Order: sequence, then structure tokens, then C-alpha cells
Amino acid sequence: MDKLVAQYSRPQHQNEFYSEQEQQDLTESVPPLSLKFALPPVDNHASFLRAMTDDLANPSCPIKLAHGTTTLAFRFQGGIIVCTDSRATAGNWIASQTVKKVIPVSRLSRGEDKPTNEPTPGLLGTMAGGAADCQYWLRYLSQQCTLHEIRHKRRITVAAASKILANLTYAYKGYGLSMGTMLAGVTPQEGPALYYIDSDGTRLPGNLFCVGSGQTFAYGVLDANYKYEMSEEEALALGRRAILAAMHRDAYSGGFINLYHVKEEGWVHHGFDDMNPIFWKTKLDNGEFSNVTSAL
Amino acid sequence: MTSLLGHPAGGEGIGYSFSQPTAAPVKQHGFYPYTDNGGSTLGITGSDFAILAGDTRSTSGYNINSRMVPKVFKIGGDDETGEGAHIVLSVVGFAADGNALKERLDAVVKMYKYQHGKPMSVSACAQRLSTILYQKRFFPYYVTAILSGLDEEGKGALYSYDPVGSYEREQCRAAGAAASLIMPFLDNQVNFKNQYIPGSGEGHALEQKKAEPLPQATVEQLVRDAFTSAVERHIEVGDHLQMMIITRDGIQEVFHPLKKD
Amino acid sequence: MPGFDFSNYNRNAALHARGVPLPKATSTGTTIVGCIYDNGVVIAADTRATSGPIVADKNCEKLHYIAPKIWCAGAGTAADTEFTTALISSNVELHSLSTGRDPRVITCMTMLKQHLFRYQGHIGAYLVVAGVDPTGVGLYTVHAHGSTDKLPYVTMGSGSLAAMSVFESMWKPDLDKAGAVELCAEAIKAGIFNDLGSGSNVDVCVIENDKPTQLMRNYERPNERGQKERNYRFPRGTTAVLNQKIITKEDMKKYVTIETLSGDSNLAGDMDVDS
Repeated sequence: MDKLVAQYSRPQHQNEFYSEQEQQDLTESVPPLSLKFALPPVDNHASFLRAMTDDLANPSCPIKLAHGTTTLAFRFQGGIIVCTDSRATAGNWIASQTVKKVIPVSRLSRGEDKPTNEPTPGLLGTMAGGAADCQYWLRYLSQQCTLHEIRHKRRITVAAASKILANLTYAYKGYGLSMGTMLAGVTPQEGPALYYIDSDGTRLPGNLFCVGSGQTFAYGVLDANYKYEMSEEEALALGRRAILAAMHRDAYSGGFINLYHVKEEGWVHHGFDDMNPIFWKTKLDNGEFSNVTSAL
Repeated sequence: MTSLLGHPAGGEGIGYSFSQPTAAPVKQHGFYPYTDNGGSTLGITGSDFAILAGDTRSTSGYNINSRMVPKVFKIGGDDETGEGAHIVLSVVGFAADGNALKERLDAVVKMYKYQHGKPMSVSACAQRLSTILYQKRFFPYYVTAILSGLDEEGKGALYSYDPVGSYEREQCRAAGAAASLIMPFLDNQVNFKNQYIPGSGEGHALEQKKAEPLPQATVEQLVRDAFTSAVERHIEVGDHLQMMIITRDGIQEVFHPLKKD
Repeated sequence: MPGFDFSNYNRNAALHARGVPLPKATSTGTTIVGCIYDNGVVIAADTRATSGPIVADKNCEKLHYIAPKIWCAGAGTAADTEFTTALISSNVELHSLSTGRDPRVITCMTMLKQHLFRYQGHIGAYLVVAGVDPTGVGLYTVHAHGSTDKLPYVTMGSGSLAAMSVFESMWKPDLDKAGAVELCAEAIKAGIFNDLGSGSNVDVCVIENDKPTQLMRNYERPNERGQKERNYRFPRGTTAVLNQKIITKEDMKKYVTIETLSGDSNLAGDMDVDS
């Protein structure tokens, strides 16, 4: 009863204007990436959210969210290769074919794709799962990493950065976040380091990860051809080939191949290329994908 | 202690001897705060302009609520007329959420101008809109938003969003009920997808037609053709076409009639 | 076996229970109306067929023939209205042949309601039956579950409320033919413009005593599509071609086998019915 009384006894007109908190949010000069989220006025907001947005269990849900798909990253002697597709789907609808699923983390690397081949210092994050979740929380992580840099006068380690993200996702466990992300970077303390973090709160260090609905196809190619001692050229080609396999077989992956190489001095972008000509080149030059024919 | 629930709370209840329901009755969510008000929006950018357009029909079910409910708004203008605004927002989906979102972004852009003494850039506004949408990650705004303006170099800028704030800068985007009808048309006519240059080569050497920024007159024609075609095949689109044309000289708003059936 | 084939029923029910959506039937979310006047009856319909929110047909025909002087306007599932009216039309013809009299509207209405009632609403046909017969003018509505009404003016379909509002404000007794046609067209237009399930053109059918029935297809066209502003013809060679193969008329012959049948002249003789 007390709960009910409390629920309905509010000062009159309390909700008619912007609340003090909201006014503060509006007047604050820096938009806060705050951890205060609006919640629906129901007891179980997780199941409300699922009823409204979960399109796997509920194909006719009203709000279809954009989802990301095949991403991979692996360590080798020359650093770390990060490669993704570029398709975003909302249900069966292809929402976009031009999503940038590799997100530079930490302030120093915010400079967008420069035409030069100069490495940009900083970490790379990948996005799979909910596009908004990944974009928002990697931006939040960026902010934390920058603050770390300012406070400690040195760049954050990948271990520490991944832990910030994992602690965050663990705190929101059960709320319905959906993200599977990899953090890659080379730091003086760790050397090349690669971590996998997901919305369940999992955080794993490792040599090789594939995440997303096309992960199995990418693993197939990667496991067959991966060697730690590969040259840089071989590693880039393998990353591209593994994503190509996934884009070819997984309907929820496709678009452009986005390829990055992380090395000691920072990351280098190796192109955002349409898969179609690459596919035909792979097929015709190497004789792969021989099940695809143009014969009549 | 009185319980308003169907079954007495543990221990405190009046001790009826007949059997309790073995499991608590499954509580269904009677809470459905969304309505789809239909309609469609569309944005295309060029080298020195951007166009955001939307129809003005508002529907629920098979009914027309109104034939004149604009979906495209000027953001950060001085008064009711939106004088002096340089950013435009379109929202489609649930009109009440769309309106709340527009009001909120408008307030933010105005406050920014008062505090910093300069207008907010489109890229900053785009990022802020993303965080506003994400603040309601667990109780989403049921809207698909498109934000448009001119970037720092004076080029047309267009950002598209999902309901919880993932965003991307694009050349063109259609949203709402007829998005699946308009977007393939745009892919083909704006980005020249699946179009090759005749005679440029044989087989795999055939060159793809390169996407280039289109002139303003062409884009205006494409927008009108996209909507007159969507009206033919989608029942929730119609009545009027509202177009906002953003150029260096300001924002021009034009209305065109569409079919009303 | 005649009738419906239920062999996939259990499989489809099981699939549906597992969340597989049912295929969408084209429904004529529709406005149909009818109105009697001093010497006959008028029925009218819009011409939009929808599948969910998508317009499936911009100019479909919802006025169905039953007998020369009995016509039917159909709303609901497109296939059901089409086949139900065709079936009843056939039965009405046979009935009229065996009795040697002109068919009556009430006979047709009774056959429809009995057929629809048997299927308990699963046949989604909502009909307006109208015509003239030796007993006079008839105008009825038939619902999918089998209930019927007999009224001087009727409306059905998703636009029935919009159309009825026109009748309720403008109908008066002792209308003449022109007045009835105009009133029906006006009612359909109310549906076309105010109901999203209805649209495009107005079809009208006038059935009059001692005169041939007039079907006025697209009696009014208040929703003409405007001219497109750009030209969307692609120059030849725009589409990429990986491979091509031309099949000539001569090549086609190898897929066709020609057999000469034994010339049994009786076969043709048996088929000859009307001599």
C-alpha cells in the first residue's frame, strides 16, 4: 500500500515542465555521456524492452533496431589485423551498407581516415550486435581513455580499457544491451593486445576472435590458414579473405570490407572496399568459390 | 495490510483454506505506449545544399488523423517561425515521441547558442541527437530521425538514426512507412547502384557508374517523383509533400500537393 | 473430392504456433455501397486492393456478375469474394434453368448466406447483393458469418462508416436514377478519401426494370496519377551481363515432342452440346 501511495503522491504539476535535472542537462555546456537512463513506468523494464525491440524472439516487434554483423581480429608477429563487413540490418531490412564498424578509441586517434598512410596512435574497437549500444559505449570508453591519458600522462593499456568496458556491461547485465566488441591496441607495457568483451560481461584476452552472425564462416577460413609468423601482406590478405567468406555465406553480412592494421606506432587503415569486385577477383584469379558460376 | 494483488501476500493474507493458485498468474504487459502514425521522410544532399522532405499525413490504423501534420522541423531558430535556423530535423514513426524529440533538440541547440555565442555545428548537433536518443535506450523514442544541414565546408550534410541513436553520415536516406519503397530507388538514382557505364568494357571489366553530387534541380525532381510514386503504392503516405531546402542563403520551405486517397 | 483441401491445415497451424507468420491474403479493404431508387437499384465500389499497407491493385473490379439482373459488390478477402460470387452465379444459373424462371435476388442472397454460414466466417466475403426480379427491386448485405440485412441503402467494408455518413446526411426517399447514382458515387468518394483501405476510382452498376444492366467501370476517376518529372529509361548496356545465350526458334523445337493422335472422330462428336 505504501508503495502505491508513494507512486501516486507527487506534487501537482511536477512533471509538466523540465525537471531540475533535465534543466541542468540542457544548460550544461558539455553534453554528459551520463549513466542516467529513462526507464519505462513498468515493474519489469527488461521484458518491456524485449517486447518492444527484440526482433529474434518477436519478429513483429514495433521498434526494429539496427544490428551489426561479421567482425574479426587476430594477433600476428607484425601486430593485429582488424577487419569487418559494413552491413546493418533491422529485421530482414538492410538498414545500411556503409556502416563503419571499426571505431577508433581514445582522443588521440579521433582524427578520421586521413589520406596519408601515417599510423594514428590509439586503440581500435569493433562493433557487433546493437549498433547504437556499440557506438555509444565505445564513445563513452573513448572519453574514459582520454581522461586516463590526462590524469596519468600516459596512454591507457588495452587491458585497462577493456576492463572499463567489461565492468560497464556487467553493471548493465540483464537490461537488454547487445554488443560483442573487440579491443585491439599495441602499448609499450603489453605489446600487441587483443580483448573480446560482450554484453554478458565476458572479457577474454586472446590471439584470434570472430564476432557476429557470420563468425563461424570467418573462423573456418581463419583457423585453416592462420599462422602467428605470417608476413604483414599475408595477414592483411587473410583478414580480407575471412570476411569475404562470411559476407558471401551470411545474409546478414555484406557491403564493404573494412580493413585495419594495428602496429606499434598506431593503426593504419587499409581500405573500405566494395566486396563485389573483390569476390570476382578472388574467384577468377585464385579459382576459389568454384560453386559460383555464371554459366547458363 | 491490504493487498490489491489477486493473491494475498505471503503470510499476511486472510487464511482461506481453499487452495492457493499454484503459480502466480502470468502478468501480461498491458503497457503499450506507442502508435505508428505512418508517413515517410526522405533526405538527399548535394555539394552546396541539402533537401529534407516528408509527407504531411498522420494516420492511425485505417484512419487519417490529419492531412497537415508536418514531420520536418527547423531546429534552433529564433521563434515560432524558426527564423535563423540552419539545421533541419525530420522524425517519422510515433508523432508524440517525434515532437518530444524535436522540442528537446531545439532547446539544446538554442541553449548552445546562448552559452557559446555561436550556432551549433551540424556535426555537433548530430552527436548530441545521438546521445539524446540513447538516454532512452531502455524506453525508446519510437522514431526514425534524419538530421540535415550544411557542414563546416558548406557541403550538404545528412545524418540518419535508428530509434536508439546509432547514426551515420550519408548521401541520401529514406525513412518511415515507405522507406522500403523509396530507398532502393535512391540507391539506384543517387548512388547509381547496379548501373554500369555502357560500352566501358566487357564482362568483369565493365565499369560501375560513379556517384557524384547531383544538382539541386535534379534532386528536387527526384524527391517529388519518389513521393508521387510512394503515394501510388503505400496507403499511409499522401496529402502534401513538405520540402525543406537548406542552402547557404537559409532554409526554404515548400509544399506540394499529393494524392489524397 | 469436391470442396476445400485441408491437407496442409495441421502443418500450417503448427508452423504458425512456432512463430512463422501466415501469408498475407490480398484483401479489398474496401468501400462498397448500394441504394435503391424508384425503378431499380444502384451499387458502387472503389477500386483499391491492399496487402497490409501496400496497394496491391490500383484499379481492381469489385462489382461481380451473378445474373444479368443481379450483381454483387464484394469486400473482405479478394479471392473469397471472387470465388463465392462465381460459385453462386453458377448455381443461380442452373437453378433458373431448371425452374425456367428469371432468378430472384432473395434466392441468390439465401444461397450466399447458407454457403457462408456453413464455413463459419472462414470464407471472408462481405457482400452487397442487388438486382431486380419479377418481385421487384432487391438490395441486401451478406456478412461473412451468414447474417443478412435488407435496407433501402447499405454500405460495407472498411470505408462503410465514411460512406454511411454520406447516406445518412443526403439520402431521401423517392430518388430518381441520376440522384441514386450521384449519391452512391459521393458515398464511395467519402470512403476513397477518408478510409486508407479504399482508394483510386469509382465503379458503378445500375440495374433497372425493363432495361439492360449498365456497368459503369471507372464512372469517376478522382485520383489520376500526375506526370513523372524525370525520365527513368536506362541506356542499353547499363546492366552488367556476365554471360548470354540466345535460344532460337529452331532450338526450341528440341524441347517439344509432337505426337499424332489416332483420329477418333467420336471424341469431337461427344463434345458437341449445342446443336
